[in-house]
Amino acid sequence: MTLTLPGTAPLPKRRPRARRRPVVFDTTLGRTALQTLAVITFFALWEFGVRMGWISAFLVGSPSGIFSLAWKMILSGDLLSDTWYTLFEAILGFVIGTIFGSLLGLALWYSIFVARLVEPFIVAINSVPKIALAPIVILWFGTGLVSKVALSVSLTAIVALIAAYQAAKDADMDLQSLLISMGANKHQVFYKAVVPSTLPAIIATFRINVGFGLVGAVVGEFISSQRGLGHMIYNASSLYDLNSVWVGLFTLMIVGFILYYLIDIVERTSLPWKQASATHQVQV
Amino acid sequence: MMQTRPVQLSVRNVRKSFHGKAGEVRVLEDLSFDIHARDFVSIIGPSGCGKTTIFNIIAGLIEPDSGSMQYLGQEIDSLRGRVGYMMQKDLLFPWRTVLGNVLLGLETRGIDRAEAEGKAREYLKQFGLAGFENAYPKMLSGGMRQRVALIRTLIMDPDILLLDEPFSALDYQTRLYLEGVLKDAVETYHKTVILVTHDIDEAVALSKRVVVLSGRPARVKVVHDIDITAASPIAARSDISFSSYFHTLCAELDIQTEKTA
Repeated sequence: MTLTLPGTAPLPKRRPRARRRPVVFDTTLGRTALQTLAVITFFALWEFGVRMGWISAFLVGSPSGIFSLAWKMILSGDLLSDTWYTLFEAILGFVIGTIFGSLLGLALWYSIFVARLVEPFIVAINSVPKIALAPIVILWFGTGLVSKVALSVSLTAIVALIAAYQAAKDADMDLQSLLISMGANKHQVFYKAVVPSTLPAIIATFRINVGFGLVGAVVGEFISSQRGLGHMIYNASSLYDLNSVWVGLFTLMIVGFILYYLIDIVERTSLPWKQASATHQVQV
Repeated sequence: MMQTRPVQLSVRNVRKSFHGKAGEVRVLEDLSFDIHARDFVSIIGPSGCGKTTIFNIIAGLIEPDSGSMQYLGQEIDSLRGRVGYMMQKDLLFPWRTVLGNVLLGLETRGIDRAEAEGKAREYLKQFGLAGFENAYPKMLSGGMRQRVALIRTLIMDPDILLLDEPFSALDYQTRLYLEGVLKDAVETYHKTVILVTHDIDEAVALSKRVVVLSGRPARVKVVHDIDITAASPIAARSDISFSSYFHTLCAELDIQTEKTA
């Protein structure tokens, strides 16, 4: 209670500053716990629904079935070999596509004329849903590994090309002018200013392209293949074996997840200058 | 008075116009001036009068429409590769360390790495940046970054330093400090300097001569010899004749447009 003297207006109450309560769960451990809890709840509800007969195990599978099947497939080695196969296709496609696309995109920096000439073609190619190419790619490259890699390359290369070209175009003009005033030739401007300044953009495409690499591999396997996770998922779904489908999907999810974080590490270690923290700021 | 030194760079009747949306914009009109050996010339003028264009022509980044340049009496197209160009932005390469940035010019010249690095460390030490060799520009203050840019410029031993408002993005104290560093360096290494600035105070404190340009299209309006023999730019500011130079130059500029600079 505050006392108010007669005849004086009460002072506006000073509102106690809303102290930020430290959020207990906003720590690495806390967040992980919450995330794990969410996953467990999800599977528990699913399993519960199936057991109670609310949802059909035939149409959605059941977590217990999925886990026991996954365990069996791990023990037999089938899951691992399928995963390796798909992963190999995806990574090969990603690496070839990204390198090829980035180099081409960077090379376009060399000639504005050529760049302008090919730009509409790049846009045209990019506007085709690359997945629609899959049947032709299978026809051309067969049902083996090469067709899946080719499909992944077609997906990733164009993304890398456009990103690299755009970044090269946007490279700081003043840095380039400075090099020219120092007497640098075009190659030196390219290697010393353009390429390093496009690296962040190119590495940023890794995240997208690693996913596209997987898309290419899996879709290729859907259409025609004897191995791989895509093949496994497709086969199982045509047999209404939903548990196998889920095993394939969750495996793909885990693979994509791991790849994403690997790219994250690559990004942080390859661009140390982006990491330099402002807390180390020094004054004159 | 300043003793006459041989003419190092002579700019003769340079014209340049750009094609913009509103038609042709004449930026430089019949521009001529001489730079003597070991001169320190400031170019001042209304903002947007084409000061940077002059530098870009001297540095060989753009070509003039007409006119010529002579270097030590010889006809030249530009001084590309022989100038030290420093701009308002420090233009340090963010992915290079301090050492890497300082080495940039020597690298483009293809100088032996070990030799270049030894020289670079020596310069860094001299300018008080020893210990920061492996720091990235992001970690440095504005004044330090501009000092690195100055070292990068000086280490190439350029024939002429082209300084395009190099300190205008810095706070006043840092600017005063760096003006002193610049003046010392220029005297130590016997450099010729052309400084573009919109800061009349800075122009008077640093220069031996000040070239005043007219508004666009730019022409040389008048050239003033600054006869102040002070030890430092700060001391120059308290010279008896400082304020009279300052006011003369103010009167010759369209100060109203300077405010927009």
